[in-house]
Amino acid sequence: MIELSEVAKAFGARQILRDVSFTVEAGEVACLIGPSGSGKSTILRTINGLERHDAGTITVDGTLLSDKSLPAIRRKVSMVFQRFNLFPHRTVIENIIEGPVHVLREDPEAARTRAVELLRRVGLADRADAHPGQLSGGQQQRVGIARALAMQPRAILFDEPTSALDPERVGEVLAVIRELAEDGMTMVVVTHEIAFAREVADRALFIDEGVIVENGPARQVLTAPSAERTRLFLDRVLRPH
Amino acid sequence: MSEFLTDAVAFLPVLARGLATTILLTVCALAVSLALGLVWALMGMSHHAPLRWTNAIVVNTVRGIPIIVQLFCVYFVLPDWGIDFPPFLAGVIGLGIAYSVYQAENLRGGFESVDRQLVEAGTALGMSRGMITRRIVMPLGLRTALPSFGNTTVMLLKDSSIASTITVAELTRSGQLLAISTFKNGTVYVLIALLYLAASIPLAMAVRALEKKAAWR
Ligand SMILES: Nc1ncnc2c1ncn2[C@@H]1O[C@H](COP(=O)(O)OP(=O)(O)O)[C@@H](O)[C@H]1O
Ligand SMILES: [Mg+2]
Repeated sequence: MIELSEVAKAFGARQILRDVSFTVEAGEVACLIGPSGSGKSTILRTINGLERHDAGTITVDGTLLSDKSLPAIRRKVSMVFQRFNLFPHRTVIENIIEGPVHVLREDPEAARTRAVELLRRVGLADRADAHPGQLSGGQQQRVGIARALAMQPRAILFDEPTSALDPERVGEVLAVIRELAEDGMTMVVVTHEIAFAREVADRALFIDEGVIVENGPARQVLTAPSAERTRLFLDRVLRPH
Repeated sequence: MSEFLTDAVAFLPVLARGLATTILLTVCALAVSLALGLVWALMGMSHHAPLRWTNAIVVNTVRGIPIIVQLFCVYFVLPDWGIDFPPFLAGVIGLGIAYSVYQAENLRGGFESVDRQLVEAGTALGMSRGMITRRIVMPLGLRTALPSFGNTTVMLLKDSSIASTITVAELTRSGQLLAISTFKNGTVYVLIALLYLAASIPLAMAVRALEKKAAWR
């Protein structure tokens, strides 16, 4: 579904990604873990063209990413952001139908009906007419996920979807992502929630300094990593503070 | 004091008509300045370098010329080229152009304050640049720019008095004519000052009320 091959990216003179290659199959959940600044967000952002990669190829659902195919790629992959990035001047339901109505040119009434259904799915049916500012972080992120789903994407990219949340709000968002995984949605999730990744992910990739250090079945990478660097990172993340 | 009051009552109808023209002039010039200002602001943020250069030239030229000279250009110079505006319209155009560069600055400030991450959210949804400008940057940026619009509008209200120099019968000119014919300079100019104040205070209050309404969180 998503295939990166020898992708490289530099910001100015700084090489951020080197030779990044991996494949995420349809229906697979891949978790990207790694220290802050290692390039996880940059990897996600090259996949939907928010950053342009310097070298290598990215293929999504059989379409090679290029300037020309960018709109098509963005219709195939949705993104969920760490800071939700909901449109503050629009209500919850308007946020959700924004893409379907204005990008996909769907009928507004049909889009609205589907949006209500999606809101029910993320447990926010009663907040359709609220503004994002009136919601808790966990609720906003669930709206963010509904907005991503409304585009009927082939895959969803999550960039630390729970990092900006109060601890007691993390569970409700992870529960929604877990359900999507059970429904067979293809997902690439950048996360520091190792326990969640162990349980939900099929594949885990450990990134350090823009290089994929380890890529394998989630259970193996996250419980018995083969690389020393992965082990040190996991020790650090899992050690109780 | 009682003489001031009797004079005031006698002068007010004339001055009120002048004030009405001042307000109409301000509102019309405001509309022109906002429309042009939006064009300048969008040009200034364009990805096409020639558009940005054109914008820089226009903005710096307009900013560098005194408003009174700009009004003279519209009213006295354009007729030489066969473009002849009546005084009021010349005032609207001149003030509108002069103020468009301040409005552009207000708008640009507002647009640039819009969180880049919201632009990215739109981009990720597949929205085009134009769509992002129209549906995200403009509505959010306009709200941020609202307080500066208020200040600019009060300035415009006061600077509309410059149109008196091209014979627009607005408040200042009505007052001048009244003062010349009655020799009551003191009374007339105190009244004019009070009327400008009376017009600008509700304006400031209206802007504040709008701001409150636009604060959605
Ligand atoms: N637009 C940018 N310009 C310059 N440097 C950037 C930019 N975006 C990210 N970086 C740098 O690239 C590196 C990787 O960033 P990022 O992918 O966000 O890491 P992570 O998500 O793993 O924390 C960081 O050192 C960051 O400072
Ligand atoms: Mg990141």
